Amino acid sequence: MVKKIDKIKADAYFREKNTYMVIYFIIWAIVSYGVVLFAEPLSNVYFNGFPFHYFMGAQGALAVFIILLFVNAFVGDKIDKKYGIDDKRNEEIGRNTTVDH
Amino acid sequence: MDTQFITSLAIILATFALYIFIAVYNKAKETSDFYVAGRGVPPIYNGMAIGADWMSAASFIGMAGTIMMLGYDGLAYIMGWTGGYLLLTFLLAPQLRKSGSYTVPEFIGDRFKSNTALIIAAICTMIISFTYSIGQLSGSGVVIGRLFEIDAKLGTMIGVVLIAIYAAFGGMKGITWTQVAQYIVLIVAYLVPVVFMSLQITGNPLPWLSYGDIVGKLGELDRELGLSEYFAPFEKGTKWQFLALMFTLMAGTAGLPHVIARFYTVSTMKAARWSGAWALLFIALLYFSAPAYAAFSRFILMTQVAGSKIAELPAWTKTWVDTGLLKVADTSGDGILQWNELIIANDIVVMATPEIANLGIFVIGLVAAGAMAAALSTAGGLLIAISSAFAHDIYYRILKPDATDKQRLKVGRITIVIATLFAGLVALDPPGAITQIVAWAFAIATGTFFPALVLGVWWKRANAQGLIAGLLVGLAVTLSYIFAAKYGGFTILGIIDTGAGVFGAIAAFATNIIVSLATKPPSQEIQDAVINLRYPEQMTYKDGEVYMED
Repeated sequence: MVKKIDKIKADAYFREKNTYMVIYFIIWAIVSYGVVLFAEPLSNVYFNGFPFHYFMGAQGALAVFIILLFVNAFVGDKIDKKYGIDDKRNEEIGRNTTVDH
Repeated sequence: MDTQFITSLAIILATFALYIFIAVYNKAKETSDFYVAGRGVPPIYNGMAIGADWMSAASFIGMAGTIMMLGYDGLAYIMGWTGGYLLLTFLLAPQLRKSGSYTVPEFIGDRFKSNTALIIAAICTMIISFTYSIGQLSGSGVVIGRLFEIDAKLGTMIGVVLIAIYAAFGGMKGITWTQVAQYIVLIVAYLVPVVFMSLQITGNPLPWLSYGDIVGKLGELDRELGLSEYFAPFEKGTKWQFLALMFTLMAGTAGLPHVIARFYTVSTMKAARWSGAWALLFIALLYFSAPAYAAFSRFILMTQVAGSKIAELPAWTKTWVDTGLLKVADTSGDGILQWNELIIANDIVVMATPEIANLGIFVIGLVAAGAMAAALSTAGGLLIAISSAFAHDIYYRILKPDATDKQRLKVGRITIVIATLFAGLVALDPPGAITQIVAWAFAIATGTFFPALVLGVWWKRANAQGLIAGLLVGLAVTLSYIFAAKYGGFTILGIIDTGAGVFGAIAAFATNIIVSLATKPPSQEIQDAVINLRYPEQMTYKDGEVYMED
C-alpha cells in the first residue's frame, strides 16, 4: 500500500539525520585535523607513556572514529523507528527497485 | 631447501587451498553474482570482507615500515585511512545503495543521464584501480622474493600469474566469502608477531598499552645519537603535507570504486551504515597495531642489531640482502654496524622483523601467508572493479547492449588478465614504496570521484557538463601535481606527490560548481531522483510529494 505522507514529515527526517551528521563531522575534524594543527604544543603533554599528539594520531583519533560510526548506526536506527520505517519492508523494496540489467 | 622455506610455503599453500575451496564452492553462476554477490551479504561479514578488500599490501606490508621511517609524520596514514570511513558511511554509501546501481560509473551515468560521463567515470575507475594494483603486485613480489630467496622482480612475475588466475575465476560472490577467510588469516598473522614482540620487549602481552614507553625510549635513543626524536612532529615534511596527505587518504577512501562497490552488496541503507561501522572496527585491529609494530621493530633494530659486528650478523641479513631490499655497509670501516649504516627498505620491515626478533619459523611463515592474503584479496577486488568498468559499463552499456551474460563474463575475465599483466610490468620496477604508489591511487580518487559523487548525491543542480568538466580537470590537476612533485621537485607549502589529491579536489569542486551553474539545470526527473536519495527505501519522492509504502 502506497500512501502520500506530509512532505514536512519527510523533510524533518532528512534534517534530523543531517544535524547529527554535522555534529559527527565536527568531532571528527577536531580529533584529526585539530590535533595535527596543534601538534607542537600538545607534544609536551603525556598520556600512557605517549606524547599526546602521538597518542591521538596512533590510537585516540581512530577510537573516536569507530565510536562515531557505531553511534551513527544506532541513532540512525532510532530515527528510522521514530518515523515508522520498517527495515524488513526496505529490504523487499530495495530488491525490487534495483535497476534491471 | 631449509625448514623455514618449507614451513612458510606449507602455510601459504594451506591458506590458498582454503580460499580456493570457498571460491569454487560459491562459484559465480550468474552475472549479478559475479559483480555484487546477488546483494544481501550480512553487515558483519560484509564488514570483514570490506576489511580484507581494504587492507592491502600497503596496510599489511608497507604501513608499519613507513611509520618507522617517518615517525609521527607517518601517522597521517593511520588517521587518513581510517577517518575516510566517516566520509564514506555518512555522505555516500547509503545514498548510493538506494540508487540501486551496480557500479560507480553506472551511478554517474544514470544520475547525469550521459554516456560521456559514464565512459569518463569508467576510465577513471580503471586508472585508480590500476595504480592501486601496481602496489599490490609489488607487495606480492616482496613476499615471494623472500620466500624463494630470489630477486623481488622475479617474485612479482610469479605474483602476477597467481593473481590473474585467482581473480578471473572467482567473481565477487566467491570473493566475498573468500575475503572473510582472508581477513581472519591476515589479522591473525599481523597480531601474532606484535603480541610476541610486546611480550619479548616489555613483558606485557597487550602491545597497544605497552608501546607508549617504547616510543618514549626511542626518543631518548635518538637524542643520544644526535637525531631528531622519533615522535617529534613534522620532521620529515611540513605540517601542510601532513594535513594534505591525511585529507587525500580520507577523501580517496570515500571515492574508491572497489570499496564503494562493497556497499552495493548490502540489502538496505541501514545495512550500509552498519557495514561501515563494522568495517572500521575490523580494520582498526590492524591500524591500532601498526604503530606498535613500527616502534618495536625500530627498538629491536636500534638496540639489538645496530652495534653488532659486521662479520657476525645473523643469517636473516643475508636472505634479505639477496632480495635487494636491505643494505648493510660498513662505511665507517670500524667493523661494527652502526644504526646509520643499516639501510632498510620500508617495504620489508613487517616481513623481516619476525626474523630479526627470532620469533620462530611458524610465525615467520604465518606473516608471509598474511601478507599474501592482503595482497591477493585487495588485488581481487581491484581487478573486479576494472573488469566491471570495462565489461559492464563500457562493453555492455555502450558498445554491445545485446551482449549475453556469457559474453559479458568472458570480456570481464579477459580484461582481468590483461590488466594484471600490465600492472605486473610496471611493478617490475616499482616507481615508489608500496604505501606511496597506493597513496597516488587515493590522490586520483580524491581529485575525481570524491567531488563527483558528493555533488552528485547532495546537489541536485549538478549537471552532466559540470560533472564531465570537473572529472577531467580534477584528473589533470592531480596527475600533473603528482608528476611535477615527484619528478620536477615542484611543491606548494611543502606538499609532495602523496598529498596531491587536495589540489585535485579543490579544482574539481570549483569546476563542477561553476560549469554546472553556467549551463542548463538537469531535468526535473533527475532532480527528483536526487532528492529521493535523501529518504529511506520506503519513502519515494515524486513531483514534490513524498509517498510511503507500508
